[in-house]
Parts: sequence; structure tokens; C-alpha cells
Amino acid sequence: MSIVKKPDWKANWYLIGIFSGLWFTLKTMVINIFNKDKMPTVNYPEEKYEYGPRFKGNHVLTVKKDGSVRCTACMLCATNCPANCITIAAAEHEDPTVEKYPISYEIDILRCVFCGFCEEACPVDAIRMGPEWQTPGLGHQDFHYDIQKLAYRANLKGGVLSRVDDEERHHAGI
Amino acid sequence: MAEVKIITEHYDKDEFISLEGYKKFDGYKMLKKAFKMSPQQIIDEVKSSGLRGRGGAGFPTGVKWGFLPDNGEERYLLCNADEGEPGTFKDRKMMERAPHQLIEGMIISAFAVNSHKGYIYIRGEYSYAAKVLEQAIKEAYDAGLLGKNILDSGFDFDLDIYRGAGAYICGEETGMISSLEGLKGQPKLKPPFPAIKGYLGKPTIVNNVETLASVIYILRDGVDGYRKYGTEKSAGTKLFSVSGNINKPGTYEVPLGYPLMDLINNECGGLKPGRKLKAVIPGGSSAPVLTAEECQKANMDYESLAQLGSMLGSGAVIIIDDSNCMVDMLNVIMHFYHHESCGQCTPCREGTGWLHKVVSSISSGTGRLQDIDLVDEVASRMMGRTICALSDAAAMPARAFIQKFRNEFEFYVREGRSKVKGVTDAQL
Amino acid sequence: MLNCKVNGKEIKVKQGTLVIDAIKQADYDVAHYCYHPGLSVAGVCRLCMVKIGDNPRLQIACNTPVQEGMEISNEDEQVKDAVKWGLDFHLINHPLDCPICDQAGECELQIQYMKFGQYDPEMAEKKVKKRKVVDLGSKIVLDTERCILCSRCVRFTDEVSKTNELGIFNRGDRSEVGTFEDKPLENDYALNTVDICPVGALTSKDFRFRQRVWYLKNQSTICTGCSTGCNVKVYYNEEGLFRVKPEFNEDINGYWMCDQGRDVYKFVNKDFRLLEAQSVTEGQAEPLSAGKAAQLAGEKLKELTKVNGPESVGVVVTGQYTNEEYESLFDYMVNKLKVKNIYHWVNNSDTMDDFDGLLLRGDKNPNTYGLKEIMKKYSIQTNMSDLEGAIKSNTIKTIVVAGPENQAVYPDFNERASLFSQASNLIWFSAGPVSAATSKHTLVIPTKTYAEKSGTYVNYKGTHQSSHKVTTIVRGALSLSDSVTLMSGESILTKPVGPQKAMKTNFFVNKSGEL
Repeated sequence: MSIVKKPDWKANWYLIGIFSGLWFTLKTMVINIFNKDKMPTVNYPEEKYEYGPRFKGNHVLTVKKDGSVRCTACMLCATNCPANCITIAAAEHEDPTVEKYPISYEIDILRCVFCGFCEEACPVDAIRMGPEWQTPGLGHQDFHYDIQKLAYRANLKGGVLSRVDDEERHHAGI
Repeated sequence: MAEVKIITEHYDKDEFISLEGYKKFDGYKMLKKAFKMSPQQIIDEVKSSGLRGRGGAGFPTGVKWGFLPDNGEERYLLCNADEGEPGTFKDRKMMERAPHQLIEGMIISAFAVNSHKGYIYIRGEYSYAAKVLEQAIKEAYDAGLLGKNILDSGFDFDLDIYRGAGAYICGEETGMISSLEGLKGQPKLKPPFPAIKGYLGKPTIVNNVETLASVIYILRDGVDGYRKYGTEKSAGTKLFSVSGNINKPGTYEVPLGYPLMDLINNECGGLKPGRKLKAVIPGGSSAPVLTAEECQKANMDYESLAQLGSMLGSGAVIIIDDSNCMVDMLNVIMHFYHHESCGQCTPCREGTGWLHKVVSSISSGTGRLQDIDLVDEVASRMMGRTICALSDAAAMPARAFIQKFRNEFEFYVREGRSKVKGVTDAQL
Repeated sequence: MLNCKVNGKEIKVKQGTLVIDAIKQADYDVAHYCYHPGLSVAGVCRLCMVKIGDNPRLQIACNTPVQEGMEISNEDEQVKDAVKWGLDFHLINHPLDCPICDQAGECELQIQYMKFGQYDPEMAEKKVKKRKVVDLGSKIVLDTERCILCSRCVRFTDEVSKTNELGIFNRGDRSEVGTFEDKPLENDYALNTVDICPVGALTSKDFRFRQRVWYLKNQSTICTGCSTGCNVKVYYNEEGLFRVKPEFNEDINGYWMCDQGRDVYKFVNKDFRLLEAQSVTEGQAEPLSAGKAAQLAGEKLKELTKVNGPESVGVVVTGQYTNEEYESLFDYMVNKLKVKNIYHWVNNSDTMDDFDGLLLRGDKNPNTYGLKEIMKKYSIQTNMSDLEGAIKSNTIKTIVVAGPENQAVYPDFNERASLFSQASNLIWFSAGPVSAATSKHTLVIPTKTYAEKSGTYVNYKGTHQSSHKVTTIVRGALSLSDSVTLMSGESILTKPVGPQKAMKTNFFVNKSGEL
């Protein structure tokens, strides 16, 4: 909804505004040239801003000690997802202590609203939201993240190990 | 008052085991007398004698016999010789020393309740007793005391032995019936009670060895003679199996209502020198424990012990002196019930396991203070919630141990070691 | 009738009613696991505790019959405490692997914990470990750790299927449900144990891990697997049907259904369906929409009956359609086209009258009796064996087949199809693809399956049961009645029923002016 207002009569004196704006720019430029450290902006994309570790960026599927995905395909994240962007297909695992695992786990990152509900719903710490946020792609196909991308993308260096380990859980009798 | 030997009168004589020897001491005389009476007369006699079940529950035997429906169905008489209660060994002695006494008692009882088939369900571990009984039954068959037309009375009675496979729960009457039927030894849902629908769906009477043997002496001495001993509500004599830290452990026959301290000090020869009485379990491991003070006023009968919050049970008196740690004792008891729970009802199946785990974590030194209350809380929720009484049997000692010896538990949790062992080690 | 009070509410119950049923009748919730109305009473879960009158000892509601003037309370504090602890006892050794458990979402432990439990657990000790993922044959997977030993499945195999495979082994908290030496549980009713299992101890291999139950909707319908006509619930979502469960009907199936009936949903799903009509002329296949195909078929039939006479047309009907569809088809054929050669295609005449004593019948059509009724009504007496001769002697040149939707139960399907293909014109209504129909002029029109249409089925004892539409799987398919309407040249556009009301206008639509 846009409401069109009639321009104020003061706006006719726009040259003053322009020059005052230019003056601010010039002033800040000069200050920044002599005081580069305190500059609030970065030269993206050459320089990149690092967010804190709790930033809710792209999803990461954590892995177990043996490197397999921790996810048990309980689908609580998919159920909880307000954007309906998670699609999981479960299958029976050969190892009876694992029993169920996802054969496919896809996140449509373009639909994702980065609310973090999936992370909260997960009972086994299998999905986390990492600090990455730059997700360029050339087509729609680049924004369907599968297990390979979510758990083993290059910058994860073999995957993120979860704190909670099955063996320890088993030992504790949980 | 001292030991009164009625049932156990001839137990010291080896010849009493055989049929000839048994007959020498007036054996099978009462059977002849019984055949001259009518079944209803015998039931009335037993009813007015005030005989109560000696297996643990103390239910009046005559009343139980009266529950049988009069519908012409086949009836069964089962003898419960599955003596599994820790601390009890009176039935074993009776079967080993006087097998014919049991057989005679069973024939009389069968005649009274008009049953023509009886089984003795004997504990699996009692192999010697089973052998003795088998021999005795064979002798009785040969002498015409069992089988068709016993002693020309026109009454038929067949008797068999069935050996259990070592489950405590088969000592419960419906559990025993399940086991006899060839099923898993699990108690059945009541109602219907066994007297209405028991073994193979037929009316069934289940009695303890001692109860059945007592019937003989009720007939011999008459109601008044039998009531001479014991109290108004707990008539007659009873066998007590005394064990634990005592000089002369064994089976003693004393009249009901006999003071506990007399039993300990006179019959059993007192405690070992230098030891102080700490506690007594008066009726097998499922009876709540009595402290030394409570023991002073305890009489061995159903009412007096119920007043003290315990029970007479099967008459297994376990004497505990001050060299024993109550925490470790409870751990042993809980292990027993955890192992013996049949697993049918949830509160018992899970509760006994939970109690055992908590108590053993206390006795291994890793317990927490709130665990002590937890034991009491869990045990209180197990009581009265299950089909049979095993759950109560596990919960009652747990609650009594915690309530009466709380300081020992607290010490164990705080120090991670037994209060008693430290003391006794120093004394030794 | 007996009078009793449940939590102060007065109700009347039949003689012999159990307290647990009286509480349910009075619309109160009662916690329970082992009680199942179709099985004997076990009384082992000890959760349905009630207080009766002033009796301080709580009773279990499932083994207590109601007596005149009984005052039952299950909202007493003592009862609540007993139920809460009862649940705690059930849960202390439960593995809580809900994330990988198929039962999650319809698990009685979850439901009843939320209703009656909601306590802080106090169990700090190790849980008892038992066997997981035990393979019990081709249908069922057993997880003894999740089992709460309610013994429903054991009682089912003892009392209903009478096959006695299951038992409880060991004792105490080491108790486990299982079969002797893990022998498979392969009776015809085995999957009922999965239904009655209140937890995820027994799971169906067919449904295992395919969907979480909360993604599925359910609707009651009739099983079309055989002529028993069990009342069932189908579970479905937009992808298709996923499983079938029995629904209670005292007169027909009780609480149970057979395992074969549970596979009946499979042919409904898209993978096994004919998605659009096909016109094959001299080997040249051409896809077209079902409506178009039906109109085409109608025109063709009109023309053929005019040219060759109605005697040259043969109609073959199977017992897999609803009464309403038969009615419209017979009306069209007999009254409009004067075709009298209508044949009843029986799939398995040898095993037709088989019955296993519980539910399963040899007649694998849901509506054989409905078809017989309608044939009687139109006084048609034909014999399927005559058709062969008629085709061979070329007296019948055109065949219309209302084919089976469940082709798997027709062992002679391909054989018959090639016989029908000998006629020069073939119009085949089918839910699944018919590759064997290779006549000179073949028209295959996709039809709806039982889950996609409403209608009436008549079961073996003549009970008329109406089933309702569940969902739409194949959009292009038509029901037989709709096809017939189109064939007779009418439109199937539904007209609005009742007086026309002005459409409710949206407040924000057409609103002009300043905001």
C-alpha cells in the first residue's frame, strides 16, 4: 500500500538537502581515510564479515564418530518447519542399534525462513544452524541441499561431530 | 510354657518315616475315625477348632473348605509344599521326617471336601523330601491306603507328587495351579477364586503341608483338646523355623501366642556371646522386620504380630544381631524379589527391579540421600496394586527396613560404607 | 439394566458390564493398556484402578463387573496417584526411542502420559536392555525393549487366531514377548497384533518407516478384498494410501481383519493405476481424457447397435463395483441399448465358497451378491462359458468389460483379456493398466477405485454397507456411473442443489477509496 502525499513546500529547497548530504559523505570519507580501523563497512566481497557462532545460518547435519549422519529420520524437524522446506525419506538400517536412518534429507533453502525450529525440535542434536550465510547459486537446483551438502560440504572438513555420543548414551543406560 | 510337641512328637525317631513305624505310633488311626464321621462333621470340627492356614496368609481352613460350590463338579485337593519363603524350612522337615503324616492328613481332608484326586506340589529343590514322599505314597498304595476303596470305606483317593522347577511364585496358590496345569507359573486373576474355579477350571482346595497334618490332631484331640494350646483367635501349635545369628537354629513347635523372646532365649539357646539383638524378621523375608524393642512385646501369633505391623507368615523367624548391616540385608532381600517376580503385573515387575537397583546402588556406595525416600515411596506404590501378594511381600520389608533403620541407610549414603562393618571390625 | 454412578454421574448399564466399560460409557477417560474388549481379561497393567464405594483398596476396573448401586470413582486423588505411579512403572524401562519408533503419534504411552502422567521421572538407575529389531517373518518386526508386556498380542494368538505363536518368556523385568526360537509369526491375522499393540513393540514391515502417523488422515470405508466386507479405516495423505486398519463392527468383523485385506490398498495408489484413457486402433495407441473416451465409446456403441443389432454386443461385469454403478450400467445397456448379453465374470469358481472360519472368504469380490441381485432384477440369465463360443463364431463383435479394479485376485485375467481381444471392438473399464487388451479397436477407460467413490456393497450374507469416498488418487479417472452418463450423451456437470444464495462477498474485495 502506498500513499501518495503531495510534496511539502519545503521540499522545493532540495538543493540545500543535496549539499548537506554531500557534505556528510565528504566528511565521513575524510574521517575514514585517516581512521581506517573504525570504518563500519567492509569491502564485500573481498572482505567478509564473520558472524558469531550462534548465528542461525545454513544448516549442518552432524555426524557420528564413524562419520555417518546422526539423523534418525524422526521427521520432527519437518513437522515443526513453518516453511515446509524439509523433505526426509527414511529407511531401515542394517545395524539394529541404528534401526532407522534417512536415505534422503533435503532442505529447500529458498523456502527456509531460518527460524531455527528444526534445531530446537531435533531430539538427537542432528541438525544445527551454522554461521554460514553466503549461499549463491546459479539455478534452483543449487538451492536444494541434500545430505552430501548438509553434512559433508568442503568447509565442514569431514562433518561436525555431535557432543552426544551414542556409545556414551548406551553406557549411561539412557 | 515351653515347646509342645504335637505334630513333631515322633520326629526324632527314624522308623516314623516308614509306614510300619508310622502305624506303630497310632498312624492312620484317625483316618479310620474320619471314615466313620460324615464329611460335614469333619469340616465343622476343623471350622470350630480355629485352624488357620499355616502357609502364610492365615486364612481359616474350615471356612476355605466351606467355599466349595455344591455343583457336583470334580474337586481337587492340592498340597502346597512349595516352601519358597526365605527362612522357612518347616515343611521340608515334616515331609522328610513324617511323610505318612501328610498323606494321612490329605486323605482325611480329601474325604472332608469330597475330592478324589490330590497333588502334592513340592518345591523343586527338595529332592530328598520328594524321594521320601514318593516312597511313602508307594507304601500307602500297596497297603490300600490310597487308590480305590480306601480301607473298605468306599472312598477313592489318588495322590501324586508334582515337583516344581524352582520358582518362588509357584508357592502362591493360583501360581501353583498354573504351574500344575503346565503353564508358566503365574498367579491368576481373582475372582474367580480357586475354590470356585481352580485347577483345570474345577473347584480346588489348596492347603499347606502343616495345615493338612494338623487336621489329624484336631480329630485326635477334639476341638477342645486342640484349642488347649494357642490363643482365642490363633488356636493350636505351630512350627517355627528359626534361623540367623542364634545358637540353636532349627524347627520348633510351640503354641501360638508364645513370646518371641522366650523362643529365642529358651528354645533356641539365645544369641551368640557378646552379641546384642538388633532385629527379628518374624515371618519369613516378606514380613516387616521388628526392632529389638518391639521383639520384647511380641507374641508369636497372628494378632499380636499384626498389631506390631508385622505378620506371622509361614513362621520363619530370622534373628539378626548387631553384626549384620541392614542395608546389605535389604539388598539381598530385594535381589530375591527382583529375581522371583513373575513379571505379570507392572508395579511388581518394574517395582521390584527398581527397588533392587536403588538399594544396591546405596549398598555399593553410590546412593543419594533422596534414594532412601524413593525406596519408601516406590514401595508404598507397589502395595495392594497387583494380582498376588508378591509385590506387597517385596514392598513391606523395604518400607520396614527404611523406617526402622533409617540411620544405617543414611550413614551408608554419607560415608559410602556400612555402619556395622566398621564397628564390628574394631571389636574383632 | 443396572444403575450405577461414575464420578457422581448416574448411568444405566447392561447386566454383566465391566466397570471399565461403564466408565467409558459415562464419557470418562480411564487409563489402561492390557484391557481390550475383543480379548479376555488379563488384569496385568494395573492402570485402570478405580475406587468403588468406600473400599480403601483400589480395584481394577477391567475385572470388576458392575453391581446395582455401585459408586465408581476414577477421579479420586488416590486413583490419580495410582495411575500416575502405574505409568511411571511402565515407563522406567521403556527405551523412549520415540524418534525412531513407528508408533510415535498414536502410542498409548505418549497419549496416556499426557493425559494422566505429566510427572517428573525419578528413575536414575540403568534401564534393562533387551533385544531390539527381532525379525518375526515377512510381516512383523518385534522390539522387546519397547514392549510393556500387556499380553494383548499373546492373548490374540491364543484366543482369536488360535495359532499360539506368541508367548512371554523369562520373568520379572527380564520378561520378553517372543515366539519360540524366533519362529516367524505368519498366520493370516498376524498384523492384528500390530494394531492392538499399545506401543511400538510390534510394527508392520509393510508400513515401517514409510510415514509418520501424524502426516496421515484416516477415513472409514469397506474392505473390498473379499465378500466379507470388513469395516476398515484407510490411512492416506496426498501421496496415496498407506495402510488399512480394522474398525469395529459387531455384525461383520468384530475388531479384526485379515492380513490379505491389508494389502488391498496397494492397487489404489498411482503406481498401479491407469492414469488416462487409451484408444488403440490397429496397434496405434493414442492417449485421451477419460471423459472424451467415454463419449466416444457411447457414440460407437450407439452406432454399432444400430448397424449390427444389440445382439452383437456383449457386456462382461465383475463383482467389484458398487450397486449404484451396476444400476446405471444395466439401465443403460438393457433399457437404452437393448443389450441382453450381460455376463458375470467369476474369477475363481472353485474357491468361491471357501471360508477360513474367522473372516477370510474365497470370493475375492466385494459385491458379487449385489451383482447377482441386479442381474435378477433385470432378469438376465447368462453363462460366461457361452461368451467364448459367441466371440469365436463372431456373433458378438463388440465387448464392453467392467473389469476388476483389483486385478491380482483374477488369476485368469490375461487369458480372458486375450479372449475378449478377439472381438473387433473392445471397451474396457479398468482401474489398472490392461496390457493384454489388444483388440482391433480397443478403448480403455480409467475408473475410480473403491477409495475414490461412494457406493453400496452387499456382502456374503446380504448386508448392504455404504462406503464413502476417501480421497482422489487419479484425477483423470471416472466412476462407472459417470462414464455411463457420458456414454448416454448426457453431461456430468453437477448442478447446484437447493435455492441459490448470493455469494458471500469478501469484505476487502471491491472496496475502493482511501485506506
